[in-house]
Amino acid sequence: MPDLDAIKTETKRLLSEGVVEVVVAFKPGDTPLHPQPAFFMNVDDVDSLVYDGLCQNNLATFLTRLPKSQKIGMLVRGCENRSVNALVVEKQKLRENLFLVGIPCEGIIDWRKIVERTGEAVIAVHENDLNVFVDSRAGNFNFNRADLLHESCLRCTHRTPVNADILIGEALPEGDLTLAATAVEVFEAHEIDERYAWFHKEAERCIRCYACREACPMCYCTECFVDHIEPRWTESGATPAGMQGWHIVRAFHQTGRCTDCGACERACPMDIKMTYLTEKLNHDMRNKYGFVTGLDAQTQPPFATVTLDDKNRFSV
Amino acid sequence: MLQKPKIALFQCQWCLYAPADQEWVDTQLPENIHLTKTPCTGRINPLYVLNTVQGGADGVMISGCLPEQCHFKTGNMAARRQLEEFNDFLNHIGYEKERVRFVWLDLQDRGIIQKQLAIFEEELEALGPASNLVTRTKVAEGGRHA
Repeated sequence: MPDLDAIKTETKRLLSEGVVEVVVAFKPGDTPLHPQPAFFMNVDDVDSLVYDGLCQNNLATFLTRLPKSQKIGMLVRGCENRSVNALVVEKQKLRENLFLVGIPCEGIIDWRKIVERTGEAVIAVHENDLNVFVDSRAGNFNFNRADLLHESCLRCTHRTPVNADILIGEALPEGDLTLAATAVEVFEAHEIDERYAWFHKEAERCIRCYACREACPMCYCTECFVDHIEPRWTESGATPAGMQGWHIVRAFHQTGRCTDCGACERACPMDIKMTYLTEKLNHDMRNKYGFVTGLDAQTQPPFATVTLDDKNRFSV
Repeated sequence: MLQKPKIALFQCQWCLYAPADQEWVDTQLPENIHLTKTPCTGRINPLYVLNTVQGGADGVMISGCLPEQCHFKTGNMAARRQLEEFNDFLNHIGYEKERVRFVWLDLQDRGIIQKQLAIFEEELEALGPASNLVTRTKVAEGGRHA
């Protein structure tokens, strides 16, 4: 685990030296399982900063809600750093106005996996590199940390921030890229009707709350296609066509932009699986165009870089 | 199959250069083919394709100019990148890949579109009507949901 004191010291330095105006990080939430995102503007507040495996939001989401000219400091893990890069590529942020405090990430703990093992009355959670200790009304539990990780984190490739300004803790080795490919191939090995049945089963639980959209750093459109009244691009009620259309187009808009942080899935109140959609698109972008989102702050995503050379790619 | 397969045809307005072909598409298109004319293949948003699929199209045909013949230089290439990926994506969640067809039309050719539609229709008849992803709410007369 990264040293919390080192994070606090760095945050205080950023604020007191005036490097940034605000630091985006986490503070304790209403329950032990949900630390919540917080904006630190005063040095005195920084003592309440927390960071652990249960910090489930992608903090890059908040960048597009703050002015482009504001100097922002931010705690970044591997996926968040790539999201920030993707935002810089899309000219939503200026890299020189951001100060990224990098944390090598050991994976985000899926709070649902804790709740299904211990019940909802969780009193306290402590963790170290290998174990998670949970005190709940049902008793005290000791879990293997790897068993509680979110699916996206299990197949994560770039756990260390790629271009953070300062790195707290030691860089971690790169993950295994084949894990992500395997996840897609396992799903595609099913018959076409089974795949549709799975998609139908997941999408029909949707209540159209758009929590996935709000949690996603790349969903920053001022007006989303589902919110249009005239023309109405898709059914906006909780109808089968509307729910499926939302899931398909939301995922497809992330083609070449998704960093597979899994924030959409963790935000979903109906526990709908979504990363099997975006993971497929990421997989295709890697295979067809050799593109991985956010590895640097310059490379444009495949859909934005069309040239006439493409004619060799498609058969006539 | 009693009914002919329903085909949604997206046509770039520049790709049917021969007047006879364009007239055929405009006036004599069979009833089972629904034509949407766009200023360029690049204007075809994947959402349009999804809407036809959800509305019950058995197949979607997308026509475009040959590479380097696009009126807007790279519109057909941009569309191809997006729509090809969208087709793969639809296949991932259960819509047969064969139901979406791309046709490059040479400006010099004559009668290609009729031939391609006939071949596509034959293949769709073999596949049968689409069932997956066809979820659009039926709207009764007067705009009420049936």
